[in-house]
Formats: sequence, structure tokens, C-alpha cells
Amino acid sequence: MNSNILNELRNIVGNDYVLSGKEDLIIYSNDATMFDHLPDVVVQPASRDEVAAIVKVAARNNIPVTGRGAGTCLSGGAIALKGGIVVDMARMDRIRKIDAENKFAIVEPGVITFELASQVAKQGLLYPPDPSSWKESTLGGNVAECAGGPKGVKYGITRNFVLGLEVVLPDGSVVETGNAVDGDMCGPDWTMLITGSEGTLGLITAITLRLVPASATKKTMLAIYERLEDAAKTVSVTMASGIIPTTLELMDNMAIVATEKALKIGLPVHAGGLLLIEVDGMPSTVEENAKRVSEICKECGAMEFKIAETAAEAENLWAARRGVAKAFGQIAPCKFAEDATVPRSLVPVLVEKSMEMAKKYNIPILICGHAGDGNMHPTILFDKRDKDAEARAEKALDEVHIVTLELGGTLSGEHGIGFAKAPYLRAEMGPVGYKMGQDVKSVVDPANTMNPGKMFNYEGALH
Amino acid sequence: MNNQEDIRHLEKEIVKCARCGGCRSVCPVTIAEHRENTTARSKVRMIEAVLAGEIELTPAVQARFEKCLLCKACKTNCGSSVATDELIMEARAKLVKRNGLNPFKKMAFTAQRYRKLFDLGLKMGGVFQGLIFKSLPDGRGKIARIPLPAAGLNLRRVVPNMTSNPLRSRNPYHTKAQTPTSKGKVVFFTGCTLNYMYPEAGEAVIRILTRNGYDVLIPDDQCCCGTPAFTSGDVETGRILAEQNIKAINAQDYDYVITACSTCGTALKEEYKGLLKESPLAGEWEKLSAKVIDISDFVVKYCDLTKFGKLPLKITYHDACHLVRGMGVAAQPRQIFKAIPGLEFVEMKDADRCCGCGGTFSAVYYELARKINDAKVDNIEATGMDYAVAGCSACRMHITDGLYQRKSPVKFLHTAEIIDKAYEAGRKEGKV
Repeated sequence: MNSNILNELRNIVGNDYVLSGKEDLIIYSNDATMFDHLPDVVVQPASRDEVAAIVKVAARNNIPVTGRGAGTCLSGGAIALKGGIVVDMARMDRIRKIDAENKFAIVEPGVITFELASQVAKQGLLYPPDPSSWKESTLGGNVAECAGGPKGVKYGITRNFVLGLEVVLPDGSVVETGNAVDGDMCGPDWTMLITGSEGTLGLITAITLRLVPASATKKTMLAIYERLEDAAKTVSVTMASGIIPTTLELMDNMAIVATEKALKIGLPVHAGGLLLIEVDGMPSTVEENAKRVSEICKECGAMEFKIAETAAEAENLWAARRGVAKAFGQIAPCKFAEDATVPRSLVPVLVEKSMEMAKKYNIPILICGHAGDGNMHPTILFDKRDKDAEARAEKALDEVHIVTLELGGTLSGEHGIGFAKAPYLRAEMGPVGYKMGQDVKSVVDPANTMNPGKMFNYEGALH
Repeated sequence: MNNQEDIRHLEKEIVKCARCGGCRSVCPVTIAEHRENTTARSKVRMIEAVLAGEIELTPAVQARFEKCLLCKACKTNCGSSVATDELIMEARAKLVKRNGLNPFKKMAFTAQRYRKLFDLGLKMGGVFQGLIFKSLPDGRGKIARIPLPAAGLNLRRVVPNMTSNPLRSRNPYHTKAQTPTSKGKVVFFTGCTLNYMYPEAGEAVIRILTRNGYDVLIPDDQCCCGTPAFTSGDVETGRILAEQNIKAINAQDYDYVITACSTCGTALKEEYKGLLKESPLAGEWEKLSAKVIDISDFVVKYCDLTKFGKLPLKITYHDACHLVRGMGVAAQPRQIFKAIPGLEFVEMKDADRCCGCGGTFSAVYYELARKINDAKVDNIEATGMDYAVAGCSACRMHITDGLYQRKSPVKFLHTAEIIDKAYEAGRKEGKV
């Protein structure tokens, strides 16, 4: 990158916060996917005005801009596919306000999800979206990618909690969308246009988030199955029964074994599958629902059913589920971590099809996911140094996407499209919907400098 | 020069990294600096790039590998079980081989090889320290009169008083058990910090052992455990020191090797293995390694927990990295605290998060180490206790400095000093 531009950037954020050495560019070349591309420079702004100034420099010089939080994205969202400037938001990490009375919080994009959840919990409130990476991931990244999490089945995913945004647009101007009032509905919902736009329309510099009261009580349960299919069946039966659990998480044997290897907390490594179930609410409802859930589990063939007696026991069960996302590496270093989401009643079908694909392509497919809202994570594992395995993994990946769409599902329940899933986006949205996406992008970002090469601007072959 | 072949063997570790970024939430340096280039994931990424021929083992790579406390938090929390600590130490060794060592470290580590000279130097340090340092009025330590950045001495940093009469000089080679019959013989590996800076804590260890019926042997020819050298990439000095210690200890007739410095303990028990791959003493090390035990672990396993007397102190406990993650000792000190009548013990938040010392790290990156330590001191103060306790003198040095910087009334004691005080109280109560 030419030195005049580097100097301009240094003038904006200070020398310490402009990284341009080859070593740092390599470090910032990837997110949590196996892909990478070198940026030309990494900039770490501390305020909205600095972000706007950086974007103006980029706009003037037609340089691509890619936003980055914690780099835990699973679809390649934080990779600078066309080089240019990576804007690392980690320094903008202040929680500006928690309004307990009106139940909202205003945060900067670099605030870590877990940090907000912990702070609001102190005031008896809940910020529900809880992706597995919540101890690392940032709220800016969560909103940009529209992250989900185990609590999604009852409470919804990130988009259900975004009330307002402050966004630096591709020309460096700043727009504020929505506000702290829950019922704001003046014109089309620009907040929702930006949520899940993955940095292709602008950079988020402040977020107003809805909070909910923490539930009075909860129960965490574990059901263990000999056959994964029975666990999957329990999911659809439970959801059809009218109970809405806070969490209904499924893990297959491979997920159990990998997690146990990493955490050593005594998981049932011989089980075919398990379900982690949590119900919350008023004590009487929780009792009643827990009882009903235990009956359903047994009817569907659970070998064992446990209710956590203490908070520590419940925490252990949660540690198991959250541990999966980081324990993949116990099986193979590279993964296609899918978030194929299908109607709840079809979870058993998706599970069966994934098991068939693993056999057909002779490749490990770990199955886990937020089964309660149909958001499954068939995770295809391989070692990229084994080119043959990588090719088989790619074929299996294609088939996961096609099967998901055939089942009336969606490609992404929470990980985003990025470029990893971009080849399938047109097939999901239909040609008109896809064109509409391209049109919106070209109006907001005519020069295509914001996170180029992703979502509607993918340049490879489309399905 | 191409460095790929030099580090090819590290590939088996780096391919395990799933790039999940989980290390971001546990790395004290990343938490303090918000930079991807401090994470374990980034170090794996750099090695990968070197292997792919994209970069060489440049000084910039070296700087990024140096900025790590080796606290092992990333290793313990890694879902894919990447041995990050070994990866970082091996990479540092290769980087030092290619780019050389910081001159101050080079001088210090070379001096360590000459045991007697090093000993004399540090003893003289105890005599002449007044020239460079002035004592703090409350006796907590000293601060530099002039800044010595090359030696890691910032003007405001408080360092402990160096004794002119170290632990090993004031105690005989053999201290007999206080009981009528001896239960066995133990070697006390004192390490440098207990020997030269905190001899009182070392004497507490000796009293605990002899009171419980053990003969204590302190071989005079033991030397620095070598951790500062080999973790900085000076593997050669590390190996020389390791071999000297193995010879010194294995010349004794002993049942256990007691450490009260978890860094020494981790070196003796675990980390010498990597240093001694091609050494004729590798077999000797295995014999020794199986016998190494931290004092708090030893007290729980082999000493009498019913002889503690009333000790009305209010304490909180910090898990030293090398104790909790290096030696796997965390439950034992807590079990001891519970067994001491009258002792009030309150857990601090993030008790096992590194205090920011990291040995030479806090000398090279003092302000960063201070920032990390400030979070630790916040957590200590939030407990409302009067004493912070840990089983590590490096943590002691750094936390004491942190407490002084904000004029905190909280004081520091080594776990062994708590145990010793409780036994002494027990003796006064007639529990013999």
C-alpha cells in the first residue's frame, strides 16, 4: 500500500494502531475458517469518527474495507478477500449504557458478547444470543453475521435483539437507524437491512440491544441415547408438544468423544447421541415442563435421563455443549462448520441424510446443533494437506447445502454467508431475490469497497 | 537463509489448530492489548507461513513470539489440545539461533552457567544493592534510584530486597527431622528467588518438613533451574543448568524432591524433558522427575493436617501459572486453608489468570506486565482480605510491586509461610 495512504491512516488512529508488516498481515489474513487472504494494512480505530475517517480515505482511493471483530467468523466474513484495509474493532469495547428500567443496552462493536451477558445478568437481565464463541466473539460481529446460539429456540437470534445501529456507510457518512424504543416502525427497517449484511453495506460503530428479564428459575437436563436417530426424534416430538425449551441441543457420538477428549468432564463416550435441554420460567411451569420433557425423552428411547441438581452440574453440561465448537480439532484440523437450518419437524431427516453422506463420501461428519430451532451443525472434517479428503469434503458440503434447500431449509441459521456459502446464495433466494440483493448493495455501496467478493458480490460459479 | 527445514517438526502441532480463536478469551496479553498478533492462534499462523515459505524467521516474528508470558492458559483451554507452550519455546530457540538473544539476557544467562560466580554476584548484589536501589520505608522492597531499562528496571518498579546471606548459606546441608524418628529424606530444591530474595519463605519450608519428621538435604551445588534461559530460547544454557541440577540432586539419597517455587518445580518435573532429548542424563532425569513434588502437595499427602493451630488471618489465593497448569496443583492449598482453624479464605475472581510477571517478560514489557497485574490486584482487593497468598516467588515479586504502586494495605505471604505459621500456632497450643 502506498506510503501516503499509510500516513493518512497513521494520522487518524496513531502509529501504534496501524499494522502493515508482513507478519501482522499474515496474522490478520484469516478468521476461524481454513481460508486466508492478505490485507494490505490493519487499522485499529478507537471511535466512530476514526472509523468514518478511515472509510473516507478508503472511498477516496477506492480501497476495499473489511471489518473485523474477534475473527471467529465461520463463513470467511472477516477475510480481506480483495486485500485493502482490515478495520479491527477490538478497541471499541465500551458498554456505553445499560438501562435496566427500559431494558436496553448501548454498546460499541468490540464489546465481547459474554461481557455484556455478564454485566446485564448483574442487574437481573438477560441478553440471550449466545454463540459458542461468546467468550471471544464481539457484538459487532454478532450483529453483522446475525449470530445465533443455544438459547435461540426460545428467545430468537441476534436480529431479534437489535433495536438500533450507528453505521459508517461506504462514503464515510454516518447513519443512525432505529432507536431504543422497541416499537419503532417509521418506514422500512434499515436496522434489519444492516443486521446480517456482513459488513457489505457499512461498518457498525454502535448498537442498541434489547434485553429481557432473566427467568425466575430454570432446569438443565441431559438425555442420553443409544441411537442418534432417537435423539433427533425427541427434538421434533418435544417441539410438537407445545413446550418451548430455552435450549434443545443435540450432539452425536463424534461430538461427545471429541469434547470429552478436550474437557475430560465424564461425558458418555459410548452413547450414540445426547440432548442438552433447558427449560426456564416460573417455578411451577418449569417443574411441569421438565416432567413432560423427561417423559418424552423416555418415550423416544433415551437410555438415561438426568436433571442437573446444582448450578455447577448445569454449568458442566453447558461446558460440554459449548466445548464442541473448539473440540473439532481433536478429530481433524480443518472443517466446513455448516449451520444448515431446516423446519424443526425435519431435524431427524437432516440427521439421517448427514449420516448417509458421511458414509457415501467416506469423510467424518460431526453432527451437533441447536436442534430445537432446526439449526443444525453438520460439520465436515478433514486435513487440508490431504487433497483427496479435501475434495471429498467439498462434495459432501455441496450435498449438505442441496439437501438443506430441498428440505425447505436455509443455508445459514447463524454463521453467515461470507464467501464460503456464497455459491449457494442464489439457489436459496431465487434469481429475483438475489438480483434484489445485488441492487441494494450497488445503491448503498456503488464502488463495491465494503467487504467485496462476498454474499451478492461473489465472483465464483453459482449453483 | 531458508528456515523451513529447521522448524519442520513443529508441523505436527500447528496442523491441530482449528483457528477457532478460543485463545483470545484466556490470553492475558490479548486481553490487555486487544491484538490478534498476541494470540496463540497467531503464533501457529506465523509458523505455518514460515513453513509455506511466505516469511522467514524474522526479528518481527521473534518479537511476536517473545511477547508471551508462557502462562499456559491457551494450552489448557485449547479445544484441539495444541501444545502451545512447547511450540512457543521451540520457536524461540530457533529464532534465537537465527537472530541472536537480547544482549542483557545473553550476559545474564552466560553468568548463570558459572554457578559460583553467579552466586557471588548475587550475594554481592545483596551487599551493594544500596548503590542502585533505595529501600521503601515499609520494608516491602526497593525501587531503583536510576532507571536501568536494559535490566528491566523501571524507576517506579519495586523489587525485593536481595539478601547478602542467602537461604543456602544460612542453612546447613543437612537439617535433621525434629521428631524422634525420621520418616525419610527429602531434597529441597530452593531455586533462586527463595535463595536470594525470600529466604524466610524457604526457612518456613524447612521447618514444615522437619516438624513433620523429614530430614532435609540442601545440596550446595544446585543452581538456577534454567527456566529464564530456556524459555528465552537459550537452550544451551538451559541444558547445562539442567544437567548440573540433575547431578547435584541425584548424588543424594532421597525420597522426594521438594520445590516451593512452581517454576523450578515445572522445570524439574516436566520441562527438562525437552531439553535433555540428546543428553546422556535423560534417564537420570526420569528417576528424578517422578519424585518432584510441590510443598503444598507434599503437606496434603505426607504431613499432619490436624496439628494446625488457630491462625486468624484473612487471605485470598492466587494460582501461580506453573503451579496450577505446570504441576497440576490447585486443590491442595485450598484443602490446607480449610484445615487451618480460624483462617478466613475467600476466592478471588479469575484466581488462575496469570499475574503478568512471566519472569523476564515483566522486565522487557514492564508497563504491559503492570497492566495485566493491575487486573489481578483489582481482584485481590475486591475480596477484602488482608493477605494475598501464592506458591510462587515471581508472582510475589510482581504482585507486591502492584500492591505498592497503588499503596494497597494488602500484604503477601507464600503458601509455605501460612502453613508454617499454622504449625507454629499449633505448637503453642500443645499440638505436637
